Amino acid sequence: MSWKKVFGTLLALLLLVGCQPKSSTLEVQNAWARPSIAGQNDAVYFVIANGTSQDDALLSASVEIASSTELHMSMSEANDVMTMKPMQEVAVPAHQNVEFAPGGYHVMLVGLAKPLEAGDTFPIRLIFKTAGQIQVQVTVKEQ
Amino acid sequence: MDRKLAWVGLASLALIALAIVATLMLGKPPQFRGTTYDPLVPAPEIALKKANGEEYRLTDQKGKVVLLYFGYTYCPDICPTTLATLKQAYTNLGSDANKVEIVFITVDPDRDTPQSMQRYVNQFDASFIGLSGSTADLQPVWTEYGIFRELGPKDASGNYIVSHTARILVVDKQGNLHLSYPYGEQWQDILFDLRLLINQGGSQG
Repeated sequence: MSWKKVFGTLLALLLLVGCQPKSSTLEVQNAWARPSIAGQNDAVYFVIANGTSQDDALLSASVEIASSTELHMSMSEANDVMTMKPMQEVAVPAHQNVEFAPGGYHVMLVGLAKPLEAGDTFPIRLIFKTAGQIQVQVTVKEQ
Repeated sequence: MDRKLAWVGLASLALIALAIVATLMLGKPPQFRGTTYDPLVPAPEIALKKANGEEYRLTDQKGKVVLLYFGYTYCPDICPTTLATLKQAYTNLGSDANKVEIVFITVDPDRDTPQSMQRYVNQFDASFIGLSGSTADLQPVWTEYGIFRELGPKDASGNYIVSHTARILVVDKQGNLHLSYPYGEQWQDILFDLRLLINQGGSQG
């Protein structure tokens, strides 16, 4: 592990901690997914900004374009082995942002009903313990 | 008079020091950003079917820099993220891209055919190569390249997660395993190393 990577991780952590939600509601921002082909799986990424003073948790997600979804966390095990762990829920503490990003939390889309191309958008409904249902548009893009 | 002499001496020392540093820097072998194999080892042979039915042999690729990455097409996060990183490094090579080959080999032959592997990599770049085969064909490749794989439990719809080694392995133009990267390497670092390897002399190890 290079110093650059350590520094990058520290910076990312600082940014994460430093990024206080601006609004006083719970918001889902910057939802995106990579292009993919029909029948295949994909992942949706976004930032959950909990501007409320109440702890919340993401319980589930649903989309019309896939046969099912799962909340996952990618994680590394010993010896460079990567795996995914299904999550019952993902905690979103009060006044904090939780990032769903490549290599970490993601909503897995299982069995896409149609191909997704860069520039496409589709809705995703997220169910939170306290905030209830929030629907946002997911933008399909390469990165 | 003494003072002048001291200055001249000091200046000479500084010049000598500068010359030593310059020699060291120029004479130093290239500094790769990936993890270097020490010593370099000949990359074990890979002989697997491509989507078009032809056999892919790693030993036929000498003269090219080959990046090997092991994964599976049901992988929604780690594999596409890594292939997107490789695509960025590859695209930024410009006209040198034809000296580099990117190969995606399955760790999940029960679900992945050579065709589905090729479809998967085509989403990133149609010149990437997707390979599969029988477990019997693949097992020696996984073993020789140190690729760990473990199939997770099947869910209600028969889907399962495959935990797998996510390192990118780099074979140089001479057919030696030269570098590797852990998951999450930046494409700029990979690009930097690829340029060094492409420009590496023919006989140098």
